[in-house]
This record gives sequence, structure tokens and C-alpha cells, in this order.
Amino acid sequence: MAKDIYIGEVAANEEIQIDYFLMKVTLPSDFTEPLPGQFVMIRIAGLHDPFLSRPISIYSYTRGKSNCAIELLYRVVGKGTQILAGLIKGSQVEISGPLGGSYSIDHQKKNIVFIAGGIGIAPLSLLAEALCRKASYSAAAMTFYLGAQTADAVVGLNRLRKLCYNLTVCTDDGSLGQKALVTKAFQKDIKKYSPSDTVIYACGPKAMVQSLSKILDGKYLCQVSLEERMACGVGACVGCVVAVKDGQGKPAYKRVCADGPVFDLQQIIWE
Amino acid sequence: MSVEIGGLKLKNPVMTASGTFGYGEEYADYVDLNQLGAIVVKGLSLKPRLGNPPPRIMETAGGMLNAVGLQNVGVDVFIKEKLPFLRQYDVAVIANIYGESTLEYSQVAKKLSQAEGVHALEVNVSCPNVKKGGLSFGSDPKAAAEVTRRVKAETHLPVIVKLTPNVTDIAAIAQSVEEAGADAVSLINTLTGMAIDLKTRTPHLKNITGGLSGPAIKPVALRMVWQVAQRVAIPVIGIGGIMTVEDALEFMIAGAKAVQIGTANFINPHATIEIIDGIRHYLQNNKIKNINDIVGTLRT
Repeated sequence: MAKDIYIGEVAANEEIQIDYFLMKVTLPSDFTEPLPGQFVMIRIAGLHDPFLSRPISIYSYTRGKSNCAIELLYRVVGKGTQILAGLIKGSQVEISGPLGGSYSIDHQKKNIVFIAGGIGIAPLSLLAEALCRKASYSAAAMTFYLGAQTADAVVGLNRLRKLCYNLTVCTDDGSLGQKALVTKAFQKDIKKYSPSDTVIYACGPKAMVQSLSKILDGKYLCQVSLEERMACGVGACVGCVVAVKDGQGKPAYKRVCADGPVFDLQQIIWE
Repeated sequence: MSVEIGGLKLKNPVMTASGTFGYGEEYADYVDLNQLGAIVVKGLSLKPRLGNPPPRIMETAGGMLNAVGLQNVGVDVFIKEKLPFLRQYDVAVIANIYGESTLEYSQVAKKLSQAEGVHALEVNVSCPNVKKGGLSFGSDPKAAAEVTRRVKAETHLPVIVKLTPNVTDIAAIAQSVEEAGADAVSLINTLTGMAIDLKTRTPHLKNITGGLSGPAIKPVALRMVWQVAQRVAIPVIGIGGIMTVEDALEFMIAGAKAVQIGTANFINPHATIEIIDGIRHYLQNNKIKNINDIVGTLRT
């Protein structure tokens, strides 16, 4: 019995942009260090409405002397996140995790390209940090394409600048950076990255990932983290599935929580 | 704390409900499986099933809807790849089985009866999310009895029939499967329901309808357990929105000899263990020596 459900304490919960929140949760020191792409299931201790816990990707992890802390970057989209947004410093949350698999970083590719849409920046920031630290990639070897609908929806930019020098920001309305879809901005540069020397890490809305899939056309190694409604977070309820090609190329439903949330983009079957 | 269900002795009356605990391994990091009364595994069919397209789940007030559609690895892969894991534990394993035809039910039952480490069968005649089989067997007393007979003919294991609440008279179905030889009944499976996305005016579930579970259905489940317990002599296993020890005890007082914990596992992976501990404390505090002494003790 390795895993516990942890009681975390909200150390900060700030609205960093309209509807976007950054929550810092202090946890006991035996909370396992998360790998980039992993998530937690979070709920308010003792509260049964909303009924289900919410899956949120881990944005950062820091270890202190007697405890550790994670940060969660989230957008208020419904009842669950609305209630999370109302939590004040000192509130207790129940956290289970870290859950799911992670982005794989044990490859020797020259170019690292990140493509994030909106809140998709969260796992990719943790990944960029891990790559700098563990795989000793220099900030110059990594290129980040970050897109959002408007400037108001661009979050986490300042922290990202420290990790990644080659940074392209785009918005749908041009209110910040280029006026373009993030996938189009990447497509303009695609010739810079040869498929054999490049790995692409992506996270963002379905439309972005699907468009990326078309652009890459199966030629690039691309790992993408997906989001789905979840009930259990550990693979038991089989509620959060995505259609993929299995080992023999046949369609199968894989669980985003336990088989993902990171998948090879080429595996995903689009409707 | 021990109870007996159709000749199968369980160390306590708390089981996991099928479809909420995977094949046991999913929760093995959170729960000491040895402490459970029984593990009821995800429903098994003869061949692997793809299941329904997503979205498959939706949160509702006090519960959730699901339309997973019995995605499972199939009975052969279960026996080869999942059962060895469960055999490491000292816990009763109950295989939940499903078929699109009575023949499929009997074939799955036969295979599982020959496998080492399966202690009972739970016959799912109540899944609301599949086109063939499932609910269509469970909503007709004659069809439910026929499935029961066919399964009984193929197995020496205790046979539990899992009933649907989506019928007019659940006790009539329970009586019918009892006459057909069922060793126990478990109830309730989920109640059919739906939810609509106002922005798009589309159903939240791709399957349009799904099965409602969670504390929202507990009063309905409790009423049905009470009704069935009065009409059959075989053990009744209570299922439906049990979140706490108090919920579990209510079911037992209503007539359930054992209970299954389902959706509660999703929001509190320790729910089963907390309920087992809670029953133990309840018995101690009330100086009750034998758990069976509270079963069906409702005063009306």
C-alpha cells in the first residue's frame, strides 16, 4: 500500500488573469515527486458537492525541509473549478497523486519543440524545467510555441521565459504576439526542424491537437497530453477514454488517466 | 464479521461493486485487498469488448452517469493476465459475467468455473448501456430465469444474479431467478438517466443515456433491497450509493446480508476499508457479536 490520499493546505490561490487561477498546495513530504505530465485528483476536504474530484495537471513541484508543494494552474470552466477558485489560504484539499504517466524525456533529439494552447502550458512548463535539469538541455535548444484566444488567456509567460529563450506567442485576435493559431505559427517554421532530429511535446484543446496531427502527418515524434472528464483517476471506471490504434493498428479505447494522459500523437484516432 | 453467500464464506460483508474497482490491481496501491470481503471484477464477456465511444461519464447532483458499455478484456485475457494478480491475495474473487445471448453467458460461466481463483459468479442481467443482452434479460422474469438456469448448469460456483432497478416489480424478477436456482441476488445496478449540455443542446453522454450511480440513488436502492428481502429466501446483496458505514448498515437492516461499494471508491479509494472498520466499531459499541444478527431487523 504505497499510495495515500493526502490532505493538502492551500498556501496561495490567486487569480492571475481573468478566470485563470494559480493554486499552491502544501503537502506532506512523502508526496512523491511528480513527473512532467502527471496530474492529481483534487477535491475539497469533506465536501460532496461537486461529487467527483477534479483532475488537474501539475504545474510545479518544490521540496521544502519538512514538506513539499505543488502548483496547479487552472481555468474556471464549471462548478468544480468555480469552487476551487473560491478557496482561501489555509483551506484543506484532498489530493491523490501523482497519477498517470509522463512525457518521456529519454531520447537524444537535437530540437525540442513545445506547442501549448492556453492552460496546456502547465504540464509543458514542468517538462521544460525537467529537461533543463535532468536531461541537461540548454534553454537555447528548446523552442516554445504558446497560443491562446486572447492576451487575457495567456498565462505562465514570465516563468516560461526563464526556461525557454525561443518563445513564440500567438493569439487568435492578435492582442499579444502574432495574430495566428499556434499550430499555424509552428507550421511556418516547420522546415527548421527535421523529423529525425526533433521531438515535439504538445498540450492544448482538442482542436489544436487535431490540427497539429494534420500538420505533422505522422512524420514527427510527438507526445501529447490529453484532457478528459474523469471519475476515479486510477483506471478503474474506464470513463475517460480516447480512441487510439492499439499495437496491431486496431481501434481501442485507452484510459486517459491510467494509460495516458500522455499519448503518442500518431496513435490517436480522430473522428 | 463473516457472512456466507450461497456457500461462499466471506471474512466480512463488504465487497467492491463490479465496474468500480477494475480488476483489483487499479486500487491495490490504495487498499489492502486482503481486508475486503470480496472483489467483484469488471463485467466479463466471451470476447473483448470495445465499449461505447466517449464521452462516457457525467457528474450529476449527488452522483454520476456512466455509459461505458462493458469495455473489458474478455474472459480469456482475464483468466490469463488479470486473475494471477488476484490469486496473490487472500480475498474472494467474484467474476461478473455478461452475454449478448444465453449461450454467451453459459460459455463465459464455464470458462470461469474452470479457472483457479474464481469463487463465485455474478450474472449481470442489468447493464443499461449495451444494445444486446444485459438489461433485456434482466427486465423479463422468464428471460432472467433462463439465463440463471443456463449459468447454473455450467458451474459449481455460487451464482449471484445482479438485478436492474429499471423495472416495475424488481421483487418479481428476484423471485423468478431464485426459483431458477440463483444462490443470491445483488441489487441495484444503475438507474437509467441522462443529462443535457445547454450550450450545444446535445446529450452530455455520447450514448445519450447512461446509468446513474452514487448517493443520489441510495433511497431507491434501499427500498428495493427491503422489498426483495421480504420476498426471497436467498441472500440479498445491497448496492446503490453506499458512501459510509451508516449507509451500509441501513442496507443490512433492510435485509442485505452483504453490501457492495461502488461509486464511493472513485471519490474515496479508502471507502471500503473505512466501512469495514466502521462496521466492526458499530458491532463492538452495540455489543453485537454476530453481524448476521442485524440483517433484516427493520422495525416497521
